[in-house]
Amino acid sequence: MITRWSDIDRMFEAMGLLRGRLDSMYDDFDRSFGSDPGWRLTGNYPRTNMFDKGDYLELTAEIPGIAKNDLNIKIQGNYLEISGTRSASVPEGYSVHRRERGSTSFTRSFSLPADIDANKVTATLTDGILTLSLPKAEAAKPRQITIN
Amino acid sequence: MESKNLQTKEKGAVGTPRKVQSVMPLVDIFENDDEILLHAEMPGVTKDAVKINIDNGNLSLFGMRKAGRDGAPSWEEFGDVEFQRAFAVPQNIDVAKVKAELKDGILCLHLPKSESAKPKTIEISGS
Repeated sequence: MITRWSDIDRMFEAMGLLRGRLDSMYDDFDRSFGSDPGWRLTGNYPRTNMFDKGDYLELTAEIPGIAKNDLNIKIQGNYLEISGTRSASVPEGYSVHRRERGSTSFTRSFSLPADIDANKVTATLTDGILTLSLPKAEAAKPRQITIN
Repeated sequence: MESKNLQTKEKGAVGTPRKVQSVMPLVDIFENDDEILLHAEMPGVTKDAVKINIDNGNLSLFGMRKAGRDGAPSWEEFGDVEFQRAFAVPQNIDVAKVKAELKDGILCLHLPKSESAKPKTIEISGS
């Protein structure tokens, strides 16, 4: 028999704790499938990060195995589009045992948080990571206001 | 350079400890008469951050990737990652001659077969 309300409270607290544990366990489970695109929506391929660095924006994208020439980058105002293809050719004279990386062609577009000076954009591709440095247009740059 | 001070930091962007997630890299495996060829996707991993172990018929691949994250994030879809995967390799691989190269975020691993494992055509000697 339950005598005091505080006992009931304590019971619910314990249940909440258990639920928290389960949640974090499920998170870990999901995480282990992190980059496997097999059963993911293709909407966010390639995955990107975007950082605001004051005078410019920096966008990085994971595009392993795609050569410079197979990439297209388009910019107009604050609209950015990245597209590319990867052909999955089997090396000459080899037979296939396992294929997980198919051929892909992708397009992903972004609305950037600021207008970009398209003439000063630089792009580099190292180790399968595309880094775009997008200088903000003069009007969009942060400005220090001094108080008179 | 004073403009640098003006970037906005979002909530939780500073000093949040983040777990390194462990990810299985996607692979292609090919074979010909001389070798087994393995391609593994490890975007952003540098040469020094890759470890390849072959031990007693087990091949394990490790790769650490640090994603740079200075500035105010507008969005983040990938972070620090530890690529990890293990395979069983046939005993006839010549471990001493295994070669690896890293190009465009793809790890290419050449696993040559030992001489005795290569297919041979047997000539029938004349009567």
